[in-house]
Amino acid sequence: MDKNDHAAVRAVLAGDKEAYGALVARHSHRLFRLAFRITGNETDAEDVVQEAFLRGYQKLESFESRADFGTWIYRIAVRCALDRIGGRRMDESSRVAEETDPELDEVQVADLAVGPDRLLLSGEIRAMQEMAMHNLTPTERTAFMLRHMEDCSTEEIAAALEIQANAAKQAVFRAVHKLRRRLAPLMVRI
Amino acid sequence: MKHLSEEELIEQYYSKGEGAAATRQHLKACAECAEAYAALGSDLAEMEFAEPPARDASYGERVWESLSRSLPAYEARKRSWLSGGLGMGLSYAAACALLVMGAFFAGRLWEQRQAQTTAAVHPQQTQQPVAQPQERVVVVVLSDHLDRSERLLVELKHTDADSAEMVSPLRDEARGLLAANRICRQNAEKIDDPALTTALDRLDHVLGELANQPGGLNSATIARLQEEMNANGLLFEVRVLRSRIPDQQAGGKDRSTGGTI
Repeated sequence: MDKNDHAAVRAVLAGDKEAYGALVARHSHRLFRLAFRITGNETDAEDVVQEAFLRGYQKLESFESRADFGTWIYRIAVRCALDRIGGRRMDESSRVAEETDPELDEVQVADLAVGPDRLLLSGEIRAMQEMAMHNLTPTERTAFMLRHMEDCSTEEIAAALEIQANAAKQAVFRAVHKLRRRLAPLMVRI
Repeated sequence: MKHLSEEELIEQYYSKGEGAAATRQHLKACAECAEAYAALGSDLAEMEFAEPPARDASYGERVWESLSRSLPAYEARKRSWLSGGLGMGLSYAAACALLVMGAFFAGRLWEQRQAQTTAAVHPQQTQQPVAQPQERVVVVVLSDHLDRSERLLVELKHTDADSAEMVSPLRDEARGLLAANRICRQNAEKIDDPALTTALDRLDHVLGELANQPGGLNSATIARLQEEMNANGLLFEVRVLRSRIPDQQAGGKDRSTGGTI
């Protein structure tokens, strides 16, 4: 554990509330990136960061001094982000529609038969990938994001999602499989 | 030759080529799996997701500013021996001791209140000696005693000293009242009532003369007693005391009880 983090935690528990500010400043950027990748929304990501640090403060007495504060607060942020997107029910309830309608939680699927000049537009490709990501379950998307973008190990993913290591590995497999299948036509054309 | 599954290829990809030795050897030997592995790598490498918007250096401070107002400070941990198991044990023992003492005193208080309640319901029984339950108990009620004494004095005042028929009942009544009067007098001394004590003293003298006159009551003795009674106003005094008793009872000072023997 980071000695500075360790000292800050002890100071907070001894009554120095301001010491928690140092922990927030040190870990907030990383938590924001994580939250944004899970929620896909800047406002939600900021809310997740605040909620994670709030929960962390409230549970600080249960934090084991041998653990790493960064990893611990990271897990809390993952849980907060999952709670938030779970509340939005973006994945399972998303339906295919002719036009994208955020209020109805409907997304527009790009027509794969359109010409390559259109598909080659990076914005379109990115939108397709984002849509494919949103069609994953929250666990799959978070597991894939932690693996693919945050370079987390299987054990770290399992800890963050509070699941078994094998379940975390399977979640990454399913996410990659679904993404490749959904984006295969696009990949071929590229 | 058994080809690698997609799962094994994915695991190999994310292990940065440092996966199982068997998988690496297979990829070297199997062109088909190597091609699949290359395709997987290409697909995953092509996946470009939106990078999170950048946050300036003061972002963390802003987060803390928004949080700090709603966070209460932790109280400093006290890790003395009192907060440990010994302290807990002592606290538990003290609580048990307090519980036992509380139960004991509550029992005592309950007994006292029960006794007071009994006295209020049966005031004439309050002076019963608890230690001698087999002893005959005579309850003397002051008000009754004064009533009877008043009637006796009235009879004495108006009796014909020469009539033996009138004298004999006076003597018998006086004997009956004499013991009760002494009890009432003792009780009057206990409750420190000088007026009552003095009146009962005078009454005792008259009752004694009536009950124990050697050779029996004669006209001379009755006449003397009538003169004394008229002179010292004993009858009036007894009436005053008799009329005083209801007021004192209403005031909570119960003097209707003369005493017990």
